[in-house]
Amino acid sequence: MHQGYLNSAPVYQALLTRRYLTSKIMPLLSSLAVMLCTTMVLVTWSVMGGFLKVLLDSGRKLVGDVKIEWPNTGFAYYDELIRDLEADSGLTVTPRAGQRSTAASPPKGLIIAAAPIIESFGVLGLPDGRTVNVMLKGVEPVSFDRVTNYYGTLWWKPLKEPLPKDDDKEDPRLQNLTRVDMLIPGAVPDDKSDAWPAMLENGKNLQRYHTGSGQVKPAVVLGTEVTGYNRRSASGVYVPMRSRSRDSDGNINLLSTFMPLDGEVTLHVLPLDKKGRGIEMQSRIFPVANEFKTDVFLFDKGVAILPLGELQKMLKMDAAKRLQTGKPGVRIVKDPKTGEEKIEMASQDQLTEDPARVTGVLVRGKDGVDARVLRDRCEEIYAEFAARHPGEVPLAASMNIQTWQQQNAGFIGAVEKEIALVLFLFSMISLVAVVLVLSIFWSMVSEKTKDIGILRAIGASKMGIAWLWLRYGLAIGIVGSIMGFGLSSLIIMNINPIHEWMGRAMGIQIWDPSIYYFTQIPSDLRWDKVLLVLGGGIIFSVLGALIPAIRASRMDPVRALRFE
Amino acid sequence: MPILAAHNLFKTYQLGKTHVPVLRGVSLSIEEGERVAILGRSGSGKSTLLHLLAGLDTPDAGHDSHIAFDGRTLASRSGRELDDYRTRSVGLVFQFYHLFPELPVLENVLIASMIGKSRIAWTTSRQALRSRATALLEQVGLGHRLHHRPVELSGGERQRVAIARALMNEPRILLADEPTGNLDRQTGSSILDLLDGVQAQTKQTMVIVTHDPATAARADRTVRLADGIVVESLDSTPTSPTGSHG
Repeated sequence: MHQGYLNSAPVYQALLTRRYLTSKIMPLLSSLAVMLCTTMVLVTWSVMGGFLKVLLDSGRKLVGDVKIEWPNTGFAYYDELIRDLEADSGLTVTPRAGQRSTAASPPKGLIIAAAPIIESFGVLGLPDGRTVNVMLKGVEPVSFDRVTNYYGTLWWKPLKEPLPKDDDKEDPRLQNLTRVDMLIPGAVPDDKSDAWPAMLENGKNLQRYHTGSGQVKPAVVLGTEVTGYNRRSASGVYVPMRSRSRDSDGNINLLSTFMPLDGEVTLHVLPLDKKGRGIEMQSRIFPVANEFKTDVFLFDKGVAILPLGELQKMLKMDAAKRLQTGKPGVRIVKDPKTGEEKIEMASQDQLTEDPARVTGVLVRGKDGVDARVLRDRCEEIYAEFAARHPGEVPLAASMNIQTWQQQNAGFIGAVEKEIALVLFLFSMISLVAVVLVLSIFWSMVSEKTKDIGILRAIGASKMGIAWLWLRYGLAIGIVGSIMGFGLSSLIIMNINPIHEWMGRAMGIQIWDPSIYYFTQIPSDLRWDKVLLVLGGGIIFSVLGALIPAIRASRMDPVRALRFE
Repeated sequence: MPILAAHNLFKTYQLGKTHVPVLRGVSLSIEEGERVAILGRSGSGKSTLLHLLAGLDTPDAGHDSHIAFDGRTLASRSGRELDDYRTRSVGLVFQFYHLFPELPVLENVLIASMIGKSRIAWTTSRQALRSRATALLEQVGLGHRLHHRPVELSGGERQRVAIARALMNEPRILLADEPTGNLDRQTGSSILDLLDGVQAQTKQTMVIVTHDPATAARADRTVRLADGIVVESLDSTPTSPTGSHG
């Protein structure tokens, strides 16, 4: 009795698929095509994904998880807001009307720390006379570090091991820095002890000893790319350069430009009044305490960090007593002894206390807390805070409260779009695999025409023949995809050694750290991506085999048997 | 009732714009256990007739043509039933052997039994089927070549494998298309001896297409085809398997 197709078909198909797979060069070529395509997509996706991950991690540096911001003129009573934020135990997180809650129950203790910040634009005058525009971040270093891991971004510090690609050990941090006298009050010039720890401390405290005045002064910390005095080598290390400067007499002076050692910059800022109008430009010289590197070029090229108090003073945002002039008037005063009433001239001038202001408060959430949940909680806390200070601080609805992703939406969005574009292009290229499998299968079906005739002659059904080829495509897809996974894993795990080898052997350096900014090629191989790509490879192979399979099933057995 | 009966078969092939009539009203009847030779020159339509009998092709419509196996016409069978007919009722042997080059001899024979078996039936009967395939190969003198590839065999050996494959499913009728056409006289004779032996042993019904009168002479009956029609049907004198033909 004839059995059902699905039940009866696979026995001879399994045999032939196995034999075809192991005895011909064609299936090997097809598998190689699938392997190369899956490898290409997986490696690209992993590297681009790694790139995005590193960028995101870097993008979190210096910004915290959530920023509560009222730009330009800033807002007062920020210490109280910070106390509220840090005291929050998350007792009343409730979703706003019309908004879905991201957590089933009110999360507790979302906030680890909060820090005040002033963000403003300024101009830096450099020792060689150039000026650069920067974003200024006025911070209290200790709280800023708690929120942003600022200390970790400080570049000039003691270093025991060279960076991964620094084979020549050209990183100056590996050597002792002996100019201790430049950094530590009272140190003698011939002190040979290492000054890197002192430089790190200077960065942490935003201050530097000034040899000229003999005082410890507030100092700025610049991004490593701000001054242009640090040469970034191919191995990703910074080497301070010397700068030549031509003076008004035409003489060329050689400037030592290792800024954290003895460099100074002139900072120009424009304070604004409460209506956002410029008042009077303020300029001040600051020594450079250290430099930071976040791996986000935007920050490292254009941000300068300085003590909050100093920036508040320069921007007129510090606490101050102000005389508020009012119109002259009269008042009636009753003598308490005699009960006689007198008319007195009275001035409405009042001495008022203007509290210090900041443009923002940075908030750090606990690990694993969704930034959007944290933002919602911050909005609530701010609303409570604003309710206590009606007319004194901006309304909650006016405040700009953003997650770090929202703050960096510009570059995150750009990278995500780039990834999507590259993947789209590579997937298009992977369609080549379909065409390749199709053409190889077409030729294999032609080559195997006689086999198809024999199978039909001995009773194989049309469906059975079609399924034989689809099954063959499936097998090639599985073999090719698994090989592709193996190859891509090998490449991804060894991408940096492979890249270095290419550089040594062929002089090819695709990933130049002086251009791409990361010293290592990042990668992020994730299982969901792997399964998607492998599944795609298998489906593409079956699709490639589909048309040849249909063709095979429709072959006239008599013609097939006569095929030579 | 004949085991296989063909009535008024017409077949025309189209070569470009030209219609080439190959069969022009062939009728034929084959009794169970009979060995019939279809004799004809090249182009006489004998292979086409064999393909029609095997259900690999269909006769032209409109001539009241039909082929009946065990009294039931092939035209009345579904595609699946026709596949089943080729698997179980018919065994085919070709001039050019038509073996699978990737499969060793044993699997070339076994594959015929795989086509009609369910996976479960195959698993349960695999040992028995392997034994049958091995016995058949021993019967055709290839017991020592089970694991060789066809490319390692001589022409005669390949044809023996093809005969073993055709007999694997114990078909009711064996259809052979020029089984000795690609072999030298001596080897061809040994193949015919083998077929004689099979028929003597199992009373296997056979239809052998040949252009060689000597081959045809070893059949019970010879049907001579010329220009697509049966011109002569002669009973032969029965010959012994070790007769003087060859």
